[in-house]
Amino acid sequence: MPRLLAAFLVGMLALGPSAHAAPQVRVLAVNGGQKVDPLAAPAGIKAIVFLFTSTDCPISNRYAPEVRRLATTFGPKGVTFRLVYPNPAETAAAIREHMTAFAYAGVAQAFRDPTLDLVKFAGATITPEAAVVAAGRVVYRGRIDDRYVDLGLERPAATTHDLGDAIEAILTGQPVRHPTTQAVGCYIADFAR
Amino acid sequence: MKIATVALALLALTSRPGPFRLMSRPGPFGPGAVAGPEGPALQVTTPTYTKDIAPLLADRCGMCHDAGGVAPFGLLTYADVKRHAAQVAAVTRSRYMPPWKADPDNGPFVGQRPLNDAEIDLIRRWVDGGVVEGDPRDLPPPRHWADGWRLGPPDLIVTLPQPYTLQADGTDLFRIFVIPLPVTKTRFVRGLEFRPGNPKVVHHANIRVDRTAASRALDEADAGPGYSGLILRSADYPEGHFLGWTPGQVAPLLPKEFSWRLDTKTDLVVETHMQPSGKKEIVQPSIGLYFSDTPPTRTPAMLRLGRQTIDIPAGEPQYIVTDSYVLPVDVEIEALQPHAHYRARDVRGDATLPDGTQMSLIHIGDWDFRWQHVFQYESPLRLPKGTTLSMRWVYDNSAANLRNPEHPPKRAKWGQRSSDEMGDLWIQVLTRNEPDLVTLTREFRAKVAAEDVNGYEVEIEKHPTDTGLHDSAALLYLEVGRPDGAVAHFQRSLALKGRSAPAHYNLGTALSVAGRLDEAVYEYRQAIQIDSAYANAHNNLGGVLLAQGKTAEAAREFREVVRLQPQSASGLANLAWVLATAPRPAERDAGQAVDLAERVVDLTGRRDARALDVLGAAYASAGRFDRAQGAAAAALRLLPAEPLATEIRQRRDLYRQGRPYVAPDPGSRR
Repeated sequence: MPRLLAAFLVGMLALGPSAHAAPQVRVLAVNGGQKVDPLAAPAGIKAIVFLFTSTDCPISNRYAPEVRRLATTFGPKGVTFRLVYPNPAETAAAIREHMTAFAYAGVAQAFRDPTLDLVKFAGATITPEAAVVAAGRVVYRGRIDDRYVDLGLERPAATTHDLGDAIEAILTGQPVRHPTTQAVGCYIADFAR
Repeated sequence: MKIATVALALLALTSRPGPFRLMSRPGPFGPGAVAGPEGPALQVTTPTYTKDIAPLLADRCGMCHDAGGVAPFGLLTYADVKRHAAQVAAVTRSRYMPPWKADPDNGPFVGQRPLNDAEIDLIRRWVDGGVVEGDPRDLPPPRHWADGWRLGPPDLIVTLPQPYTLQADGTDLFRIFVIPLPVTKTRFVRGLEFRPGNPKVVHHANIRVDRTAASRALDEADAGPGYSGLILRSADYPEGHFLGWTPGQVAPLLPKEFSWRLDTKTDLVVETHMQPSGKKEIVQPSIGLYFSDTPPTRTPAMLRLGRQTIDIPAGEPQYIVTDSYVLPVDVEIEALQPHAHYRARDVRGDATLPDGTQMSLIHIGDWDFRWQHVFQYESPLRLPKGTTLSMRWVYDNSAANLRNPEHPPKRAKWGQRSSDEMGDLWIQVLTRNEPDLVTLTREFRAKVAAEDVNGYEVEIEKHPTDTGLHDSAALLYLEVGRPDGAVAHFQRSLALKGRSAPAHYNLGTALSVAGRLDEAVYEYRQAIQIDSAYANAHNNLGGVLLAQGKTAEAAREFREVVRLQPQSASGLANLAWVLATAPRPAERDAGQAVDLAERVVDLTGRRDARALDVLGAAYASAGRFDRAQGAAAAALRLLPAEPLATEIRQRRDLYRQGRPYVAPDPGSRR
């Protein structure tokens, strides 16, 4: 059974880039401000992890050390981490300041997504929320781990590490066990109004 | 418009229905404000920000959600509210915000700013209607919250001398900061305001005062500002007053008659609950104090229900702790503070009136350690004598309790650390008058001491070689009339300390209270062998020898006390007593007894009933019965406690008959 599943997934992945009529997803580079394709990646990159975040969401910010750990662990294995700031009110300068304060610089690239192009492509609704794209497809979307259960309800420590597990699965050619999970934090929906 | 549709779809995905509660206290924005006097016609109107939302949020949320407030973002402008609109709708609906953990029917309490169902629905309809801004002329006048101290300019501002650096990562962190108060004379405090310094990470603070240097010593021993560990027992609430801070709450100033006394060399001990923000944070709280010129004329009492015998098996989903207390006098409850750690789920404090009427004082159905709050009544709650105050705390130590600090669950016992458990309901009360306060304080002290004994046993189990804990526990055992417990702990302390005169002396004292006189004599002699100039040991040894009928030996010890400390009132009084009342005439010396007793009475300023009683016995021994009666009468005028009062009356009756008092001879009865 597992072998069958794996075979199916591999087939899907092979189909990915060519069969997929890739939508024109465009975000703004924080440095420079030009429109770029967030899904573009250098050769050898096996997966792109998008982390939807905002400068003032407390839960999002509390995950900064965990995001840095994940980026440091998986960066050398061909996984690139990209921070996405969907809130149009957050300026490039504010984002650069935020990245310095939370020590993201050098660990992850940052993009602005004021038109929610990437938000819609990934199906993200919350900051912090992760979307993992492999071969042009979103293969995981949801929480980083299960530390936050709801607003006002948090575990002292995470018991499952959904994002890390998903990346591991992708790197080892296994199916992602829970391709979508519920993130807890601040609503991206609000930014669109 | 398309974007709005997307947003709504997202909202439906992410919001979940919160617990539904009936609100019995309509606020100023009650259902009437929604329906309007015209009736249903208004209900079709889409709410607007300027008319409906701005005044509501300013009133209920502005205290924290202003620019620079303790909340992570402001909610006082259209742009800010619009940007968080779906979130506001969701968290008000789930009643996560505004944060208020107690049942809405409890109280009313100071700072309670609930949203009723109609108001929550109003917000939802505004969001569903597309967050319409509305006519700017409808905007209420702006309110400013966060500028400066909310209680006005303080008389004294103290700030943590060295800022504390909070780590970027991890879960709740507790640090105890000790802030010296630079007062050069006694002041009277009407209130204090806590400013977290860094509201992003400071979640709540519990403030106490330490009139000793003990907390400061722990601070100095710990590297960095403050210390990590336990609040010492020497750090306490001042004279029955709560001091604490939760976000968005400021305890109002006390009326002048309720101020509390602040002496020089007092430290504020600030237990600070912090939550890391994701980056290193500097934390440097300030506290503003507000003084009164006059000393208090009324003092509240702090009652504490609770157990220190808590012992919850691993995995136990429903462990219940109860306690109760029957009020011996009429009181007014001023404030309440329930306390427990992560495993408590449901906490309930009730009052049962003498006629059987039951009322809920406080009920928190979803206990959250991270929202500790002092619930202060808007107007005090009167309860008559005979009312039973009770508490019932329910704990879940299973893995199903997501807040359980242990994964997998572990056995949890009583203890101050957040990984241990506690269960207390603090109740601040006022009595009608001073005698009632004395009665209440005395009776309640006995209850609290009996419970504290349990807590000490748990702490000692964790720290079996801490002689300070053993000594404190022993003293408490003596206070609650359990001298055998005191003997056991002083024995442990002695074994740990080795050759120590005070340790032998302490053990001797506990043994003598326990009636184990021969053993007490042995311990006192050990103490004296180590330190021959130990006056208290000689004195107590004399007392035990006297009780054994060894009058001459006792007199020898008392003489030694007087030789070592000529001004020792107890030594002089004891020696005078033996010389006046010894069973065998040969051991008496009435003249010397009178001289000594007169000295004691002078030393104690004629304000000590026991000294006057000794003087009476000395005069009677010398045959001066008029003077003896006068001394006894003077002693009785000081209203001595029993059994001394009865004994003095019996002696006075003897003197009236022209007879001296002679002590019974325990030796002759053997």
